[in-house]
Amino acid sequence: MKILTTVRRVPDLDARFSLNGDKTEIDTEALDHKVNYFDEVAVEEAIRLKEKGVADEIVSVCIGSGNATKELRTALAMGADRAILVEADEKTLDPYLVAAILAKLVEKEQPDLIIMGKLGVDFENTQVPQLLAGMLGWPQATFAYSTEICDSKVTVGREVDGGTSTFRLPLPAIVTADLRLNEPRFPSLPGIMKAKRKPLDTMTIEDLGVALEPRVKTVRFEMPPEREAGVIVADVAELIQKLRDEVKAI
Amino acid sequence: MSHYHLDRRDVEFVLFEQLQLEKLLNLPKYSEYSKEIFDMVLGEAQKIAMDVLAPMNEPADKEGCRLEDGQVKIPKIFHDAYEKYKAGGWVAPHAKVEWGGQGMPVSLYLAATEFFVGACTSFLFYPGLTASAAHVVELFGSDLVKKNYVEKMYSGDWTGTMCLTEAGAGSAVGDLLTSATPNDDGTYNVVGTKIFISAGDHDMAENIGHLVLARVKGDPAGIKGISLFLVPKIWVKDDGSLGEANDVTIPSIEHKMGINACSTCVINFGDEGKCRGYLIGKRMKGIVAMFHMMNEARIVTGAQGMALGNAAYQSALLYAKERVQGTDISNMKDADAPRVTIDKHPDVKRMLATMKAYSEGLRALILKSAYLLDMSESIDDPVEAARLRGVLELLTPICKAYCTDKGFKVTELAIQTYGGYGYIREYPVEQYMRDVKIASLYEGTNGIQAMDLLGRKLPMKNGMVFMNFLGVIGDFIDANKAHPVLGGAVLLLEKAKNKLGEVSYGFAMSGQSDPDYPMLHAVNFLEMMGNVVVGHLLIEGGIIAAGKLPDAKEGSSDAVYYSNKVKTAQFFATNILPGNDALAAAIVSKDRSALEIEF
Ligand SMILES: Cc1cc2nc3c(=O)[nH]c(=O)nc-3n(C[C@H](O)[C@H](O)[C@H](O)COP(=O)(O)OP(=O)(O)OC[C@H]3O[C@@H](n4cnc5c(N)ncnc54)[C@H](O)[C@@H]3O)c2cc1C
Repeated sequence: MKILTTVRRVPDLDARFSLNGDKTEIDTEALDHKVNYFDEVAVEEAIRLKEKGVADEIVSVCIGSGNATKELRTALAMGADRAILVEADEKTLDPYLVAAILAKLVEKEQPDLIIMGKLGVDFENTQVPQLLAGMLGWPQATFAYSTEICDSKVTVGREVDGGTSTFRLPLPAIVTADLRLNEPRFPSLPGIMKAKRKPLDTMTIEDLGVALEPRVKTVRFEMPPEREAGVIVADVAELIQKLRDEVKAI
Repeated sequence: MSHYHLDRRDVEFVLFEQLQLEKLLNLPKYSEYSKEIFDMVLGEAQKIAMDVLAPMNEPADKEGCRLEDGQVKIPKIFHDAYEKYKAGGWVAPHAKVEWGGQGMPVSLYLAATEFFVGACTSFLFYPGLTASAAHVVELFGSDLVKKNYVEKMYSGDWTGTMCLTEAGAGSAVGDLLTSATPNDDGTYNVVGTKIFISAGDHDMAENIGHLVLARVKGDPAGIKGISLFLVPKIWVKDDGSLGEANDVTIPSIEHKMGINACSTCVINFGDEGKCRGYLIGKRMKGIVAMFHMMNEARIVTGAQGMALGNAAYQSALLYAKERVQGTDISNMKDADAPRVTIDKHPDVKRMLATMKAYSEGLRALILKSAYLLDMSESIDDPVEAARLRGVLELLTPICKAYCTDKGFKVTELAIQTYGGYGYIREYPVEQYMRDVKIASLYEGTNGIQAMDLLGRKLPMKNGMVFMNFLGVIGDFIDANKAHPVLGGAVLLLEKAKNKLGEVSYGFAMSGQSDPDYPMLHAVNFLEMMGNVVVGHLLIEGGIIAAGKLPDAKEGSSDAVYYSNKVKTAQFFATNILPGNDALAAAIVSKDRSALEIEF
């Protein structure tokens, strides 16, 4: 069985962000980047399935700038078998385009299962897996906290509002990883050394025959307003009054 | 929030912009490496430090170690972390691939070690001593011993210790009483009591290999008669499987000022006459083998001072940017003036700048020394390799003593920056200070290091190693005197260097007739040399930064970093280097009052 995992390069969220001059972009140049945490969980899950003998090949894919080879090497160091970088300027992408690119790759790679992070921690769009499932016509199970594969079906425990639910999907299918699915391993030093020799192919969006036509246009970013100093209230009654009359929260 | 904050930017500056570590990639020994791997290694080290080690620092310090039924128990949280650390291959990444290591440059390993030590000092003793001990076994052990121990130790499955100290033999290792008698099967019976043994016992691995200095019965007294033995906690059969307990017992452990989660043990070898060990290296050459390890261990000890100094500085810096107290000096009389954070006060700025200069200078010194070690062990040219080894030997006591004394000083300044809060357990800096102090004591006290520098290192090759070293700094000075920004700093370096040369010449002239006087000033001399070495590295870094500044985008974090780097070099040159004048004045004074006071 072949598993495709996606690996996105995201800025370190602890970093201090700034905007470019006309506020249409976040200045990410000087920021540290790392693998989107949910994607690490996805890769980890794929590796565990391989360790259980269920899967035999793990391919990790990243769509992003040339610098993202580092994030792909991280996936390889954890235990993925090979990696593909689809080179693209991240700022020109939107979820629909990413899904379209992935759909083309899936045609080429023919995986039996795609495991993706449930969202990207930077913009938290939570759209690509769902769009991809729609384009491919595959079943999907989002927000997984457990997976089990049996008889060409994947059983997925899911976190939903107010509880859990269980889906059983025929393969090929898409699963997105939630926090509780596993605790991703740290790439070991021997793993890092081995990753250097694992194949990492690079291709362009044009190679895949996808037209670069974004559907989302970024108009402007705004920094959240500076927090203003609070006020000290005399008692609960005053707090309630302020919440009701000034903040209009109740 | 984590207690630990690290300065990855400065680590990267020293490694890649100052030392240009990529140069190693041209050497066959490091052909498997790449810049990308260097980056990934640093990234993973940072992750392990922040996610696995840092959260244990405070609770492990509180819990400490216990002795229960003859077995030392260390904090439970260490066990799980140790498994992760081992699985990551971090115990001995610099070991050769054939022994299970990754052949990693020591410079990169020490850069990672800074993060680990800063995150949780006590933890690092267990894997750190293991790697050092295993290295000695690899270099000097018999084939059988190597086969059975080296990989087991480098992987961390078993740990290791260094057992030199006894109650009557601390600095004077040669006075030890532990004895060894040959057995018919080639092993030795070892009997004696060692004290203060770090990581001497614990419940985290199934076996421990103790490297024990002892005297074979009948061999001469003093340091010349000493041999080195590998004494396992559990005997290892020739086929590599574990046998019986080896009569190695722990009667007690110490309760200490710091590194509380690192067990410090009294160890009895052969209470019942049944403790066996293997001779490591040649008989009566124990100290040669041990010294081999000590040279590396001394740089690592210096790294401990550097790492904790840096951790304390980062912590104090963040605190100073948040703590609001008082008003700007220009508004002092105005009761309604806006309150400011303490980093705006000139005296706090002085403390921050001092901490920054030492912290970054010590880092450059440690990584540069490690880089010299890497180069000396991997280049083809034997003459150049010997030269680099000479420089490294000269710098070793400085790495050890200067980095641990100044590292301690930085932790003390960090507490001062915090004010009363620094003294309170809720904040991390008091632990850094407690944890760093030990580094100026073990691995040869800093006083002993200074005597080593003056008595042994300065006279190497009739003083040529030292003179050549000053020559290299002299060349740097000549080349950069006219630097548009840091030319003045370079001239201050020249003055400090010349003072150092003068007093060393004075020692050489007077040493034979009056050995007491130079030794009275050995520590002052080491400080002078440390100032010059670190001043040189900071100014070199400052000049590199000045060169990059014009290309850095205005207002970018790089621009701020480079500009601060230039000013840090300037600060050290103006505020620390002139200290050499005062030290030199004391040294050349010939004043003997300390020798004459009746204590
Ligand atoms: C927490 C801890 C961990 C340790 N870990 C280990 C370990 O793992 N393995 C191990 O073998 N040892 C270990 N030690 C022991 C340590 O190395 C010794 O404490 C150290 O070498 C100093 O010896 P001492 O304590 O007997 O002091 P002393 O030798 O009594 O020294 C006392 C003072 O006298 C000075 N002095 C002594 N002799 C001279 C001289 N000839 N000239 C000038 N000054 C001199 C010293 O510099 C020092 O200031 C550890 C100690 C501690 C506290």
